[in-house]
Amino acid sequence: MKKIDYFPYLLLIPAFALTVTIVAWPLFETFRLSFTNASMRPSWKYVGIDNYVEIFEDDFWEVIRLTFLWMTCSVALKIICGTFGAVLLNAAIPGRALFRVLIMPPWIVPIAVGVFIWAWMYNGQFGMISGVMQRLGLIDGPLEFLAFGNTAFLATVITDVWIGTPMVALYLLAAMQSIPTELHEAAWTDGASRFYRFRRITLPLIAPAMATMALLSAIWTFNSFDIIWILTEGGPRGSTTTMIIDTYKTAISRFRYGEGAARAVMILICLSAFAGVYLALLSRLSKRGTA
Amino acid sequence: MKAKALFLATTAVLGFASAAAAQTEIHLINCGAAADPQNPLQEEHAKAWEAENPDYSVVFEYVPWGSCQERAITLASAGDPVAASYMGSRVLKQLAESDLIIPFDLTEEELGTYEDSVLSTVMFDGEVWGLPRAFSTKALYWNKGLFEEAGLDMPDGPQTWEDVVTAAKAITENTDAAGIGLPAADFDNTMHEWLNWLYSNGGEVINADGEIVFDSPEVVETLQLYGDLADYTEEGPLAYDRGKLEPLFAEEAIGMYTNGGWGRNTAGDIDYGITLIPSGPSGDHGTLLITDSLVVFKGSGVEEATLDLITYMTAPEQQSAFDIAGGWTPIRQTMDTENLVAEDPSWEPFVISVPTGGPEPLLYDYVAMQDVINEAIQSVLTGEVSAEEAAAEAQSELEDLNE
Repeated sequence: MKKIDYFPYLLLIPAFALTVTIVAWPLFETFRLSFTNASMRPSWKYVGIDNYVEIFEDDFWEVIRLTFLWMTCSVALKIICGTFGAVLLNAAIPGRALFRVLIMPPWIVPIAVGVFIWAWMYNGQFGMISGVMQRLGLIDGPLEFLAFGNTAFLATVITDVWIGTPMVALYLLAAMQSIPTELHEAAWTDGASRFYRFRRITLPLIAPAMATMALLSAIWTFNSFDIIWILTEGGPRGSTTTMIIDTYKTAISRFRYGEGAARAVMILICLSAFAGVYLALLSRLSKRGTA
Repeated sequence: MKAKALFLATTAVLGFASAAAAQTEIHLINCGAAADPQNPLQEEHAKAWEAENPDYSVVFEYVPWGSCQERAITLASAGDPVAASYMGSRVLKQLAESDLIIPFDLTEEELGTYEDSVLSTVMFDGEVWGLPRAFSTKALYWNKGLFEEAGLDMPDGPQTWEDVVTAAKAITENTDAAGIGLPAADFDNTMHEWLNWLYSNGGEVINADGEIVFDSPEVVETLQLYGDLADYTEEGPLAYDRGKLEPLFAEEAIGMYTNGGWGRNTAGDIDYGITLIPSGPSGDHGTLLITDSLVVFKGSGVEEATLDLITYMTAPEQQSAFDIAGGWTPIRQTMDTENLVAEDPSWEPFVISVPTGGPEPLLYDYVAMQDVINEAIQSVLTGEVSAEEAAAEAQSELEDLNE
């Protein structure tokens, strides 16, 4: 009879205990809480799916729609700007190393500091953007970007793109640098233009990296809290209230822990879907790599 | 010799360390920053209390205004309360009903040093649930230079809503400034500042019987005032809370705005006047009375000592010094407060409005109530709905919250 070696399982116990403590247990508690009417009051009771019914009666579809719109705009712009930035940083120009360093600040500056700077720039009375637009004659008077739904939405997207683009650019730059130079040289010898080489060689070869980055970026952007909270706190009038902001307001500002947990579960479901797609993509890429 | 010195030094360090370890910590969350003018004074007071109570050490944690209350309440709800916290008095009812805080036991004499209107903000069910720490009344700040430039002859500033609309229009049309600064962001003081106008028009949100009375002629008139002023406000009022209006007033970008006594510290060197909140067509000068309090949480293990500390810190002499340092309207009656107006007449509108002021309306879900009222204000200000429609819709939502 074969003797079971328990030693490897013993070694796994700390990691297992850690995972249960900081992942599984809080997740379980969140699920449990979402079926209660827990609030600041010491007593609470199970209320079945009431919290889920209530959040969908509370314009939650609009919050979901806004969240996906915000995420889609932001991720699309980050991928476009990141690809453009990667191409520029990959170009054989003098001082390239310096440019690669200069692209970093939005990413390495503490997010709160960067967002406060943007908040000042968006200010209508003292902000730079409104001032420049007035000088150029684009607007008649001060424009308070964070006061109107559309401009506030756009302002939060732009700030998120500013912060997120450097990472996308550097990731795609790394992907571009892994493309064998012979391919470009051969195409160049055949007289292919710069744009043609980009479209037919670079783009297809970095497409897996772009897809991976887009998915990861979607997960981070979906979960992004600090940028919107510092700039608008979800306002004006809910125009930048994404699911994570809505959950925070419900659970922490209004102390409706049960309802807040139900909203958190909805976020978890959405993120799980993204994670599923990401894992499937990784699996496909890995199979392609080993084939 | 060296070994002896080292031994003595080590013993001394260990001695101090064990003495410090023997002290029980009283953790107090305070809103704002340590550098705020009143806070060093508060820490001095705590040190004086520590000197009389050497078994305890008081630790202040300063948390920004936007999140300090949530932090203290979240800790308490999670069963890990701090000893005490600075708190908007509006949440005391919710905290008390949730069995998270403990009441103070004050003598009749101690209670007598508070104005009744102040005491009403922290007292219910016959108990005092927090000791008022900061008290504000509001008044209208008006820029004398801009009034003159706009050709307005109002030597005492606007006294009625009609004056306000006239002045706002004239300033907007005849100067580079906006007539009036109105806060309308998704923030508590959007509702607070609007309530000043409502109370100056004889209106209320909840009547003495606890019924919602938002859909009333007084409320509609007050919402309509905002509608009438919409063309004369700063650009994009929905981006402004009251604090953001302070630099606009100091830069002469707005002709008027409402603020508490601390607004005098931020107005710079412009020539301005302060007057009572102008009277509406259905009422007389009024103001919103807001107190922030120090509350003691249940379950910290140092409740008795904390009650004693807070009672000491808010005793008339200490509280008076704290009020003056922070620019707050005086909470307790002392010789200092009696002399205040004589020494500095600019205090007058803030002090004389106290007896006729009204407290914040209180519902269990205060934030939800605030959101509903803010939505009504914003929708009228942006011209989306009429004042009548906004009042009716808010009435219905507030009734749901009051069930």
